Amino acid sequence: MTEYAAEAEGDVTGRALTALGGVLDPELGLDIVSLGLVYDVRVTGRLVEVDMTLTTPGCPVAEQLPAQAAAVLTAALPHHQVEVRVVWQPPWTPELLSPAALQRLGYRTG
Amino acid sequence: MELRQPPGSGMTGSPRPPVAGAGSAGPLGPAAAPPAWVPLSFLAAAGAGLIGGGFGVWFAADRLAESPTHPGAVSAVHVAVLAFLTVGVLGALHQFAPVVGRRPLRSTRAAGVTVGAMVATAWLLPSGFAHGPDWLVPAAGVLGLATVILAAWNLSGPLSSKVGGLPLWGLRISGGYLVVTVAFGAVYALDREFGWFPLLSHRVLAHAHLGLLGWLGVTYVAVAEKLWPMFLLAHRPRARSGLMAVASLASGTAVAATGLLFAVPVVAWLGALVVGVGLGAHLVSLAGCVRHRRRRLEVLHGYLFASAGFVVVAATLAAVAAWPGLVSTPLRVQLVAAEVAALVGWLGLAVLGHAHKIVPFIAYSALRARGVTSSSTGEPLMFAHLFSVRLAWLGLVLGGAGFAAVVWGLAGGHPDVIAAGGAAVATAGVVVTANLAGGPRRGAGRPPASERHAAPPPSRQVTVGSPGASP
Repeated sequence: MTEYAAEAEGDVTGRALTALGGVLDPELGLDIVSLGLVYDVRVTGRLVEVDMTLTTPGCPVAEQLPAQAAAVLTAALPHHQVEVRVVWQPPWTPELLSPAALQRLGYRTG
Repeated sequence: MELRQPPGSGMTGSPRPPVAGAGSAGPLGPAAAPPAWVPLSFLAAAGAGLIGGGFGVWFAADRLAESPTHPGAVSAVHVAVLAFLTVGVLGALHQFAPVVGRRPLRSTRAAGVTVGAMVATAWLLPSGFAHGPDWLVPAAGVLGLATVILAAWNLSGPLSSKVGGLPLWGLRISGGYLVVTVAFGAVYALDREFGWFPLLSHRVLAHAHLGLLGWLGVTYVAVAEKLWPMFLLAHRPRARSGLMAVASLASGTAVAATGLLFAVPVVAWLGALVVGVGLGAHLVSLAGCVRHRRRRLEVLHGYLFASAGFVVVAATLAAVAAWPGLVSTPLRVQLVAAEVAALVGWLGLAVLGHAHKIVPFIAYSALRARGVTSSSTGEPLMFAHLFSVRLAWLGLVLGGAGFAAVVWGLAGGHPDVIAAGGAAVATAGVVVTANLAGGPRRGAGRPPASERHAAPPPSRQVTVGSPGASP
């Protein structure tokens, strides 16, 4: 049995999310999980698929954040194939911000 | 750590087969955005243009106060509008349109030619106005026309994209205004040689307002509809004000310029009223974004609020100057000159404010591509590391005070105040340019040795869906 096959799927998802938590939006200084930009993490055998979005289409870091996400996932899950997909539906809204992220960003919670 | 899932997405985090077509738009590589040198070359040249424009106003202060159509005054105004505003806005467009339209420029080489030719036009034309030789003005006018036609062709690639919405629609219109404005300018420049028609002040004003409102104004108003909500994380329930701003400013400018060109006050007034509606809607849009923001205000918004003040001043001065019988003819000339300066202040502060967002993000992307991931203090690299916020505020104070002094001096006929304003604007140009140009060197660290020559792992893949694609 190979090393990766022994990993429970939940462990892989958790490691993926932990790794994605290290990807910071360079404008806001917050990680992409707290910002609600990571929509889904799916593990199928050796394949890890991540659906993520950006705060808006045409975001200045549209080329940076997904690439950084793929890089940290590859580093964290070296025995898996990683696919990061940028999706636009449903659109991101500020309601997806975590309470901690809202607090860090300022004072607008309504 | 857990996912906050969007309502109605049906996402569970459980294994699920990928839907075909979700990534059909292809790799999300750096294909859309141009190389960093393209926008940065324009913006660096615009910084020099702001400094030159400020000094030009300083040197020409007497002429500006006595007769705003004096060649020395016209020269200073053209440095400000061409070398600063037009070059800067063209640079921003060469970055913004491909990113928002998700389609690259037609030619990077053409963009390079545009930078060089536009900068040449922007300095040769005012030089010709100021001290000749006579052939220089028409030659620079023709060069400018050829350059903007090249730029329009190049930008038509991303601007023909079906995504991008209102901002791209506005940019298509403003691009048309750019060509029309420079075509007017070229005809006027040739007219100086051939004397086809008298270059009366109302015809000059038609040209000025086509450029300031149609080209630069519509561009700014349209781009703001994308940038403001993004920078403020503001999701407005409705954004009708943005549509009204772009539509009214675009249509009203054409009517107002026609009225000015043919000296038909009723038509000019009608157009001006529509322009006023557009500018008012633009301010309502700004207020809406601020109201629905999810983050603190920052230095950009200081620039935006000061900029908004200038557009209100410009509208007020225009109304007073154009109101029949309200002011004497000499005072009307002063007020109209002040109105034009206020419009330059509106656009100039907006350009400076947004440059503090645009330049750091371009620099960030370029640094990341070189493997730089941390700041000089060892923290993860952020935009905020790439410029000094204190210097940004200083730029705002100097720029705002400078433009205000120029407007005040022109309205009141005070050459000393105009000169002081020009000096302050030039100093603002030095501060902002040095801050943004030197920021990456000060704030960014060195790439780790392990990342300098690292090849991307073969097993990672990044794809992007179309705006309507659902996972």
